[in-house]
Amino acid sequence: MAPSSYIISHRERKTSSQLSQKRASIFDSEPSSSKKQRLKPLSALSKPPVFDLTGSQSNLSQSSKPTVKGKAKAYPQALGKSEDEDVTRENGTLWIDMYEPTTEAELAVHIRKVNDVKQWLREAFEGGPSGKLRKYRKVLALTGPAGTAKTTTLRVLSHELDFSIMEWRNSVDERFHKQDEYDEKGNGLEYEGLSDKFHAFLSRATSSNSILSATKASSSYSYSPSSSQRPLSRDQGRRVVLLEDLPNILHPPTQTAFQSSLYSAVMNQGASFPIVIVISDAGARGESDSDGLPSQTWKGKGREVVDIRTVLPPSLLHSPYVTQISFNAIAPTLMKRALQNIVSTHFSTTGRKGKCKQPSKEVIDLITETSNGDIRSAIMSLQFAYTTSATEFPLISSSKGAKGRSKKSEKAVNSRALLEVTSRREQNLVLFHLLGKILYNKRKGDLPSSSASARDVQREKEIDMQLNDPPRLPSYLSEHDRRASRVDVEALYSDTPIDASLLSLYIQQNYTQYCNTLDECDGVIDWLSWVDSSGGESWLQANPHQFHLVTLGTLHSLPSPVTRRGQKPYKPEFFDNLKGLREGEDGLRDVQEWLHRHETLGASWTRNEIALEMGSVLKAYDMAGSTSFKPPHTHRKFSRLEFVRGTTTVTDPVDDKEVTSDLLDVDGDGEERRDDPEKAPGGWLESDDIEDW
Amino acid sequence: MSLWVDHYRPKTLDDLHYHPALSARIKSLAKAGDFPHMLFYGPSGAGKKTRIACTLKELYGKGVEKLKIDQRVFMTPSRRKLDVNIVQSNFHIEITPSEVGNYDRVVIQELLKEIAQTQQVDITARHKFKVVVINEADSLTRDAQAALRRTMEKYMSNMRIILCANSTSKLIAPIKSRCLLVRVAAPTEDEMIKVLKYVASRERLQTDDAALTEIAQDANGNMRKALLVFEALKMQKGILSGPVAIAKPDWETYCCKVGDMIIQDQSPSRVLEVRSKLYELLSHCIPPTVILKTIADRVVELVDESLKADIMHWAAIYETRMRVGNKKIFHLEAWVVKVMSLYKHFFYDIDMSGFD
Repeated sequence: MAPSSYIISHRERKTSSQLSQKRASIFDSEPSSSKKQRLKPLSALSKPPVFDLTGSQSNLSQSSKPTVKGKAKAYPQALGKSEDEDVTRENGTLWIDMYEPTTEAELAVHIRKVNDVKQWLREAFEGGPSGKLRKYRKVLALTGPAGTAKTTTLRVLSHELDFSIMEWRNSVDERFHKQDEYDEKGNGLEYEGLSDKFHAFLSRATSSNSILSATKASSSYSYSPSSSQRPLSRDQGRRVVLLEDLPNILHPPTQTAFQSSLYSAVMNQGASFPIVIVISDAGARGESDSDGLPSQTWKGKGREVVDIRTVLPPSLLHSPYVTQISFNAIAPTLMKRALQNIVSTHFSTTGRKGKCKQPSKEVIDLITETSNGDIRSAIMSLQFAYTTSATEFPLISSSKGAKGRSKKSEKAVNSRALLEVTSRREQNLVLFHLLGKILYNKRKGDLPSSSASARDVQREKEIDMQLNDPPRLPSYLSEHDRRASRVDVEALYSDTPIDASLLSLYIQQNYTQYCNTLDECDGVIDWLSWVDSSGGESWLQANPHQFHLVTLGTLHSLPSPVTRRGQKPYKPEFFDNLKGLREGEDGLRDVQEWLHRHETLGASWTRNEIALEMGSVLKAYDMAGSTSFKPPHTHRKFSRLEFVRGTTTVTDPVDDKEVTSDLLDVDGDGEERRDDPEKAPGGWLESDDIEDW
Repeated sequence: MSLWVDHYRPKTLDDLHYHPALSARIKSLAKAGDFPHMLFYGPSGAGKKTRIACTLKELYGKGVEKLKIDQRVFMTPSRRKLDVNIVQSNFHIEITPSEVGNYDRVVIQELLKEIAQTQQVDITARHKFKVVVINEADSLTRDAQAALRRTMEKYMSNMRIILCANSTSKLIAPIKSRCLLVRVAAPTEDEMIKVLKYVASRERLQTDDAALTEIAQDANGNMRKALLVFEALKMQKGILSGPVAIAKPDWETYCCKVGDMIIQDQSPSRVLEVRSKLYELLSHCIPPTVILKTIADRVVELVDESLKADIMHWAAIYETRMRVGNKKIFHLEAWVVKVMSLYKHFFYDIDMSGFD
């Protein structure tokens, strides 16, 4: 959720406070159990958790028992917020609200992005240098991962450029569409569907001038208490309509209604206020749903995620009225600065200076590192880090001296461990551990690695003791002879955070680094291929032993022992490819529609024909630049394919990906402005530092 | 304005430039009143769809040219909604099932039932039945084909089906036996040149035989491709005479280069490089089977005689797996690795007799 939603949640909090107090009292009785649950993910690690559970817990329960934990458990359902956002409330305020940036300098967004947005807004209000641009500045789509300050940027700019924001909010209980299979008794009742409301809101909000003052406007627009639209700052005649809380546009009728409302709002000549749409990228989910994967044939609009294409109708998307500015994940340097600012303001203004300690620089670094560029979650963990140190500190300060110092160091470890639990994406942690287990293919009698500690060596020996040697294979099968594996596939299977399909993608992405010869490669990939094609077409026919087959097949094919050469795990490119494929398909669809506009009998083009045969003609049209008969520019997504030979890519896979992503960028039509050179394009996970690999 | 291919597409059976015997036969069939289900098959770009359109026109007259495009929503058994674009006139309806993927059975069933159960209301219509044209029928899933087979018999009274396919091998026998099979062969080089000349004369273009011959040869029996290339060349150069340089499509050149990469070096890191190229091809919507075929053709050109059979053998195996499986890249990559390892072993002269 975006910061904007907190405002409403504060309000609701008052109404639901009685309820939550009741629930809180239930949870107070068993804080320890809830605590244990939170820490559970670590238990899946082979190493025992490094912090002292009982010690920190007693500290916590002494001072903050009734407040923090209990309420945290009570809130999520009522407010629909994720857990760790709530864990750390102090004085009922989240830092994320308290320290929301108010000036441009405070924003942790790359300066160029902010300027892009500002430029657009200026043009929308003033029309740019020639005054004509205004016509084309109707819709601004801000896209990017969650927690990259998209909405906040808009809000900050609203102060600076002095405009008000009119926001649409969905009501909870109403259907978007009138004719939904629902109700049927309220025959004569006047029922205004949400779609009508939305339409009315959009047309009025974009066109009506400020006859009404700001406060009156809010009351006249509210159709029901649950769908209220409030101007958020003073109304000076400049206004932006913000669409963030979108209706359920994955439902096709809703989507059509939504898109047509949007379309008419944009096409309305009288409309004088620009619309800003904020779309958070929800990444493709890891699991392979039965048909989300690209098969050889083309799907309909089979997309499960909300992206700019599902939100905006195609007629708008390619029109000059829409501008897209995509935000990147927040760069570590910017993030660090912002967190430090928050810390310093917090401790200077509120007079808590003497009372407790600031979270150390190390903690900030840690948070930055684990937040994956999501500043919202980073601030949440920061507040959390502060609450833990606040509750523990009094103890330490009371007992100074040698004892205190030792506690201090212990506490550093504690906070680190706690932070890891809250902020780190647990899934990645266990996932990469799992991958390491499989890809390093440890077998009985392997020499311990040079970095292994004495305890690790000891443990490996113990494991070896329990393993029985497999019987020798007859000579004609000698090529399949392997030593007993230290990997317990059953245990992995019970602990695995991902399903077999995703695991196979990870293995496919990474196996080449662990192989010495092509034959080993051949074994691994042949297994993957076989497993993928075994079973039927739909998920219910899928092979139930996929996980075991993938794991065992990989273990059998990999060399033993695997040579250590600093292999790094990568995320599968598969999903980027899927995204590329979708874009290509969209391009195909656009071209198909373009051809169909001139449809005569028998001239229907199938997508295969377009993809395979149209390339040269489309290119020729591009070069000729004829105006009357111009193919949609999106065709480049599939028709342009230039072979770039990466010469330096042989050794370093990171470079390899840079080459391919550059290649993609050539096709990007220059629309996507890339910045943040700090951000590695290939996307390997820095958060991986498991010692036990 | 539209593309030359569309613009100069023959509208009636009499306008067709080649296969006159076939045209005559279809004409008499349309007149006879007892029109069967039909299956047009032949290589792509041979003129199947053009002939289907002409047949429809022969059946219903001008009215069939009034097309409208509908967007229809279908519900799958798993309560998923599919929207499908459907081109239709008052007399016929056209669908491309490959655009709905695995759910083609649902779409086909719903659509056919709906058409079969409605009577033709237009009393001026020449025939009582409506025609359903199914493009790319060879990409229909088995389920959909099975569903088709029953409906074809049941609703014969007010519906006819015209299937269009590249080859009949992927259609199940019951369907083939219920249709009149019409093979549309690829035009010969001379026939293609004739068509190209016709287009050139309509466009008032100066051309010479050398250029046209070259275009026709390059197209290799694909009339659509020839016309597209012709138009592209005209737009780039203006005048078409003498030798023309016909560039292969980007994706084809790309595939060839990938083939070269495989032969140049065989190592795990090369596998990684090839993979990124494969991904690139896939994301440009090139069907994986086409990728596999094109690269395999290229590799076979380059390797020693004794390896060719093996390479194609594995290509066939992985292509089958690709059809069944979900993740195309696995199978493409597996084939690449297999070829690399075959090639490498060949050079290191290791006995491969026990390999297969």
